[in-house]
Amino acid sequence: MEDLRIVELYRRRDEQAIVETDCKYGAYCRRISENILSLREDADECVNDTYHAAWTHIPPDAPLSLRGYLGRIVRNLSLSRYRKNRAAKRYEGMDLLLSELNDCVPAPDCPEKTLEGAELTEYLNAWLRSLDADDRALFLRRYWYGDSVKSLAAAAGCTANQMAQRMLTLRKRLRGFLEKKGVSI
Amino acid sequence: MKREKLYDSLTQVDDDLVQEAETHTFRRKKRFRLLGAIAAVLVVAVTAGILLHPASSPLITNAYAIAEAQYPEMAQFPDYMDYLDPETMEISGKNEEDFYEAYDAWYESRKAQRAYAESYSADDLSDFVHSSTLELLSGTDGENRVYSPLNVYMALAMLAEVTEGDSRAQILSLLGVDSLDTLRTRTNAIWNANYRDDGAVTSLLANSLWLDEDISYEKDTLERLARDYFASSYSGQMGDPAYDKALRDWLNEQTGGLLEEQITGLEFSPETVFALASTVYFCAKWQDEFSKSATEEGIFHSADGDVPCEFMYQSGSDTYYWGEQFGAIRRSFSEGGSMCFLLPDEGKTVDDLLEDSEVMDFILANGDWGNSKDLTVHQRIVKFDVSSQLNLSEGLQALGVTDVFDAAASDFSPLTGMDGLFLSQATHGARVAIDEEGCTAAAFTVMMACGAAEPPEEEIDFTLDRPFVFAITGEDGLPLFIGVVNQP
Repeated sequence: MEDLRIVELYRRRDEQAIVETDCKYGAYCRRISENILSLREDADECVNDTYHAAWTHIPPDAPLSLRGYLGRIVRNLSLSRYRKNRAAKRYEGMDLLLSELNDCVPAPDCPEKTLEGAELTEYLNAWLRSLDADDRALFLRRYWYGDSVKSLAAAAGCTANQMAQRMLTLRKRLRGFLEKKGVSI
Repeated sequence: MKREKLYDSLTQVDDDLVQEAETHTFRRKKRFRLLGAIAAVLVVAVTAGILLHPASSPLITNAYAIAEAQYPEMAQFPDYMDYLDPETMEISGKNEEDFYEAYDAWYESRKAQRAYAESYSADDLSDFVHSSTLELLSGTDGENRVYSPLNVYMALAMLAEVTEGDSRAQILSLLGVDSLDTLRTRTNAIWNANYRDDGAVTSLLANSLWLDEDISYEKDTLERLARDYFASSYSGQMGDPAYDKALRDWLNEQTGGLLEEQITGLEFSPETVFALASTVYFCAKWQDEFSKSATEEGIFHSADGDVPCEFMYQSGSDTYYWGEQFGAIRRSFSEGGSMCFLLPDEGKTVDDLLEDSEVMDFILANGDWGNSKDLTVHQRIVKFDVSSQLNLSEGLQALGVTDVFDAAASDFSPLTGMDGLFLSQATHGARVAIDEEGCTAAAFTVMMACGAAEPPEEEIDFTLDRPFVFAITGEDGLPLFIGVVNQP
C-alpha cells in the first residue's frame, strides 16, 4: 500500500494503519532495531513502541516518507532504551556504535561555536553530500542503519579488516571536517 | 554525551541520503575478482543482425573500416587497494590525496555518462517493449527464448536513419517516437547512459554497418551513424569468405565469444548490399553471491518432464513482489542493474504471463511496485544457460514494419540511390547464463500459489523449479533482456 494511503488510515484513526505499517515496514524497523540493540526481545518491543509512537503522532505529523519517519523513531527509541537499561543490560550493537562515533567528536581546542542538534545535522548533511556515493552509503549503513562491518564488507567485496579500516578513515574525515569548521559538539 | 548527540543529529539527516544509502550498490574491487574471492559471473550477451539485399544482383569488395565511431574517454577507476600502505594497511597523506583525486575524476566521468539517463525513462520505451515482447516471446512451445528489447530498439533506430517515407514512418511508429530527431536524441542518450569503459567494467552497445564496396553510399548518413549511433562502417566484398569472417569476428569480439555457436552460420550472400549489426554485452556479478556449498541437486519440472538441475540457495531479508498471476523477486548486480524472476502462479503458464500487461508494467517499474512486502525469502534458483535465435522478420511485419521487407515499397534513399532494396534477413541471437556469482531463476512453491493475494507470512519460499520469465534491467531502468526459461 502506498505511504499516503497508510498515513490516511492513521489520520482516520483506523487501526488497519498499524497492520499496513507492519506489513510494509515491519522487517525494515526490526532490522534497524536489532542492529542497534542486538537483543531480539528488546528490538521487538522497540518496534511495537515505534508503531505506538506513529499512532500517537500522526496526526498532527504527516510524513511524506514513512520509511524515513519510522526509521528515525526506531533509532530514537533504541537510544532511549539504551539509556534506560544499560546498567542492567548489555546492548552490544549500541555500545559499539557509540564508541565508534566517539572517533568523530572534534577535539575541544577553543571552538568558535558549540553546535545545537539541528545545526549539527546540517553539518552532517553537508559532509555526507561531499562524500562519494560509496563512502556516503557505507557511513549511513553503519551509523544510521547499524549494519555490521562484516555485512558491509561482504556487500562491498572486501575483508572485514579492510572495511573496519575504511570506516575508521571515514570517522577521522568527519572529525577533521568538523574541526576545520571550528565547531564543537 | 557528545557521541549520543552525534547519534541524535545523525538520526535527523535528510531522507534522500538515508534512502539512497539503503539501496546503494557498492562497487566491488577488481582485485578481489581476479583473486577469485568472489564467485560466479553472470554472463549475458545478445546480438542482432539485420541484412539487406537488393532485388537484383551482386557485387565485389575487400573488407576494411571506412568510418569508425569514437567512443567517449572515461577516467579510469582507481583501486583503493593500490593506494594502501602495505605496512599499515592504511591510506593516508599523499596516497590519500592521490586516491581521492583519481576517484573524483572517475566519479565525475561516470556521473557525466549516467546523466544521459535523465533525458529518458523506461516509460518512453514501454509501448515498444510491451508489443515487441509479446510478439517475439510468446508461443514458446516449450523452448527457451531470450530477447533484448534494447538491442532491437537500437538496430531499428539505425534502420530508421537509413530509410525514408513510409519505410521510416512505420519504424518510428513502432518505436513510439514522432520524429527522427527525437529518436536520434533518445538513442544517443541511451547509448551514452549504457556506456562504461573505466578499467573496472566494460559495457557497450556496439553498432556497425557493413557495406558493399561497389555501391556508392551517402557519406553524410555514414557520418551521422558514426556520430549519433557510435556505429562504425566497414566496406568489403559481399560473398567473400574473408568479409564474412570479419563480420563474425566483430560480433564475437563484441559479445565475448558467447554467441559463437549462433554466429558461426552467419554470412553475407553475394546479393547483400549492406548489413546493420548491433550487440549488447552485459556481464555482472550478484551483489550478494550464492554460496557454492549451498548449491544442491534438484528437479526442474519442465513441460517435457522432470529434469535434474542444480539449484542455488540463499535465504534472507528481501522484498517479495506479486501480481494477479505471478510472484517475483529481484536480485541486484554489484555494478548496478538488477534481474527479476517471475514465477507464474499455480495453474498459470509463462505464455499467460507474457500476454499479461501487468507483467511488462512490473518489469518496467524497476522495483517501484505497490504489491510488495519485505520479508524473509528462501530463494532456490535453478542455474541456467539459455540461448535462442529469433527470426525477427515475421514479428516486425506483424508489428507494422512491412515496407522495408518489400522491394517495391521500400525507401532506403538516405543511404544509397540504389532501387529495389529490401530487408532479406533480420536475426536476433541472445544468450543468458547465470550461476552462484552471476544470476539465475526457476522454481515454484506451493506457498507461492497465492495469486493476487499478499503473502500471509513473514517468510516465503521462492523456488524456481518450473518454467518462468526473467528480465535483466540496466542501471537506467531499461530492459536489456527478457526471456523465458522452459528448459534450464
